[in-house]
Amino acid sequence: MIQLSKNYSLPERQEEQIPIKVVGVGSAGSNALDRVLLDGMDKNDLIAINTDVQSLASSVAARKVQLGRTCTRGLGTGGDPELGYQAAIESADEIRQAIAGARMIFICAGLGGGTGSGAAPIVAQLAREAGSLVIAFATLPFSFEGKRRAVQAQDALSRLNEVANAVICFENDRMGDMVAPKAGIHQAFGVADMTISQSVRSIVSLIQRPGLIRIGFDDLFAALRTQNGRCLFGFGESDSDNRAHDALTEALKNPLMDKGRMLSEATHVLVQVAGGPGMTLSEVEILMRELGKHVRDHTQIVFGTAVDSKMGNRLSVTIISSLASEDSPVSQEMPSPPEPFLAPPPEALEEIEEAPPPPTPKIDIVPEPEIEATAQPATNDLIPFQQLAAVEPPAPAPKQTIKKAAPRLIPPKKKAIVEKEAKEIKPPKEKIHAKQEMMQFEPITRGRFEKSEPTIVEGQDLDVPTFMRKNIKVK
Amino acid sequence: MASGDLIVGLEIGTSKICVVVGETRPDGTLKILGVGQAPSRGVRKGEIVDFETAMKCVHEAVVDAEQKSDVMIRSVYVAVSGGHIQSFNNRGCVMLPEERDEIDDQDVEDVKVNAREVSIPAPNAFLHSIIQHYHVDGQDGVLNPVGMLGEKLEADFHIIHGVRTRIQNTIRCVKELPLEVEDVVFSALASAQVVLTQHQKNLGALVVDIGGGTTDYILYIDGAVKQSGILAIGGDHITNDISMGLRIPMARAEKIKIEEGSCILGNCLPGETILLKDDSGFAGKEIERETLNTIIHLRLRETFELLKRTVEEEPFINYAGAGIFITGGCSLLNGIDHLAGEVFEMPAHVTHAQTLSGLTSAAENPQFSTAIGLLKYAQAVQVDRPRRGITRIFGRFFSGMR
Repeated sequence: MIQLSKNYSLPERQEEQIPIKVVGVGSAGSNALDRVLLDGMDKNDLIAINTDVQSLASSVAARKVQLGRTCTRGLGTGGDPELGYQAAIESADEIRQAIAGARMIFICAGLGGGTGSGAAPIVAQLAREAGSLVIAFATLPFSFEGKRRAVQAQDALSRLNEVANAVICFENDRMGDMVAPKAGIHQAFGVADMTISQSVRSIVSLIQRPGLIRIGFDDLFAALRTQNGRCLFGFGESDSDNRAHDALTEALKNPLMDKGRMLSEATHVLVQVAGGPGMTLSEVEILMRELGKHVRDHTQIVFGTAVDSKMGNRLSVTIISSLASEDSPVSQEMPSPPEPFLAPPPEALEEIEEAPPPPTPKIDIVPEPEIEATAQPATNDLIPFQQLAAVEPPAPAPKQTIKKAAPRLIPPKKKAIVEKEAKEIKPPKEKIHAKQEMMQFEPITRGRFEKSEPTIVEGQDLDVPTFMRKNIKVK
Repeated sequence: MASGDLIVGLEIGTSKICVVVGETRPDGTLKILGVGQAPSRGVRKGEIVDFETAMKCVHEAVVDAEQKSDVMIRSVYVAVSGGHIQSFNNRGCVMLPEERDEIDDQDVEDVKVNAREVSIPAPNAFLHSIIQHYHVDGQDGVLNPVGMLGEKLEADFHIIHGVRTRIQNTIRCVKELPLEVEDVVFSALASAQVVLTQHQKNLGALVVDIGGGTTDYILYIDGAVKQSGILAIGGDHITNDISMGLRIPMARAEKIKIEEGSCILGNCLPGETILLKDDSGFAGKEIERETLNTIIHLRLRETFELLKRTVEEEPFINYAGAGIFITGGCSLLNGIDHLAGEVFEMPAHVTHAQTLSGLTSAAENPQFSTAIGLLKYAQAVQVDRPRRGITRIFGRFFSGMR
């Protein structure tokens, strides 16, 4: 039986080698590509797309696409997303050629700047039109980079959300938490790139790896379904004696996870455990039981496991989930976009089939009106930036999400403070109990001042540690 | 070198005893020749609790200073501290005789005596009476009334007093060595002499000297001492808190406080830990950095808040334009100036002895502020005795009981 099943699985595995491409848009994207390559992806799967020729030249990607040969002339966009957008439209054909043939496309982009914000949504759209599945990895700028960049990034993010199958969003602010405060700045950025690379790699292997319990696209999208929400992502790998525990701890340590606290709010959690042939059932069991402590009872856990001989002694855990935006009306609205969204692609495809012929002859004469003409029928699909700015209605949506996102980041801390305050305020009620306890301990608690004259100020014996007198629990 | 030029300051602190040997130059500058120190035992909260042990420690420190500076120490200025020391402001008044309206030196002397004629608790003795301002016929802020015309001369004095026997204990401890005690000086007053510049005293400044066992403070407004006092809380309390909160021995707690402690909260990564190693180098206990900082923060915040409430009993602190100057061993704790600034809502600085020549490395250590301040105090008293701000009345006062 076992042999039989092995025989069956072998041909299946070969089929599963899905052609993928990793696209880096903008200079942040190409930095991420460098890291992805270092981490062992095939050079030929990488495509760098940028307006800045200099940055493009230094990229490691095998295939490079220069955007906006005429509109930026090889320079950067200077932080202007509109310029990035125009440049991407101008070079649409080249992008199409570059991404042709891939069934899955990963787009890495740093949002907030010109090329990343302007061109990434176009690349995503072109990829969708070519019939690929698109997963975008976007980084949001540090908050110290200014509000304007943040707004640009949120704009671009909502546009990406509209076109990509899934968007995994990394907040640079959270990346900062991951490195020690004293670490150099390049190290901090390096960590951000590394996290992106790690997630690209783990999703690729998630889908490509022959699974005992398989995880497919459907599962992946189920886990990432809530749009506009926060994506939770964690990846951990370990080869220590206690590798199941260590890998999970590492996965939960990921800045997007917030030590696993965020998981308790998720409705879907996708977990893949992968290991070499030596992986035991009990290890998986221990790991899942431990993970179970972080999620709620009614959370749906999509579990997958895979054995890969390349893993050797290592065991890896990938956790993917997403949180809906906090407001229920929004999350109720959210399911509706996907429906029209699933429908449009065929339309879009048809339109594009019609569309491509005109651009080529007309590009030299009047490219812009042409695009607007194609854009207007499609409305949702291609919204030029001018329109976005003029019409405004889409803008409130990201603003809302910003507002919702902001408190979302704070709550755990805020709660902690509130709880502390509450504890400080509460004592009047509880104090009687607390004091009774204290009475017993008082003779002991003066420590080294035991034998010295007490320092009593305002009725308090100051030799007793402050935290004890204030009833603040340390540890 | 002539021994007349030699000044020695001795501070018997709770955590250590330091002796600073200095020399006054003809041009009025002060040069530090050497610093001796010894860990202090038998002292709690700035006061001697074990006479024999404390004496040994003082001897050790003095010998150390003699070796370092290559001089014989015969007499010292001693700083005193302790929870018993109190202060208040008092105004003295003299009426000039009918036939005379020019104020002379004798009137000034009289008003000083007059101002001191207040009742302090019976067991207490005066430490200092420091002139703030004179008033001539209701004219405020007179700095030197000699030669002025008037009928009534008043003087505001800041008077510092403490329990006589406890001060005598300190003196005896030094005299048994045997060393001459030139004078005893309230430690915060000594510190302020080197920590503050005249300009800062005029602007208004609060000096907070946080030592091992006590927190001494002195407030200068308009160049005069307005408030001073002691809280019997210091670095030892922080160490004790850490020791009890983390359940580690005192010595370990002291070490970790110095090496890792900070009073800034929320500045470390969640879950960041410090690994405690025991003496043999084995990995011991792991403690959370945030916990350590919370313990330190709570204690220091409470101390500052207490201090703030104490100084706010009188309305002077709001005029302290130069802000708060923190010195003493505890001021080396990370972030203490931020915390003080936050509590007092005014600029706070960590400082050390300024404007000295010689061993500047010693001067730059806030642990020596008091001992170096003693030199400056002594210099001021010796060089221009009638100098405003400091009057050497103590020597006279104690001469009877020595």
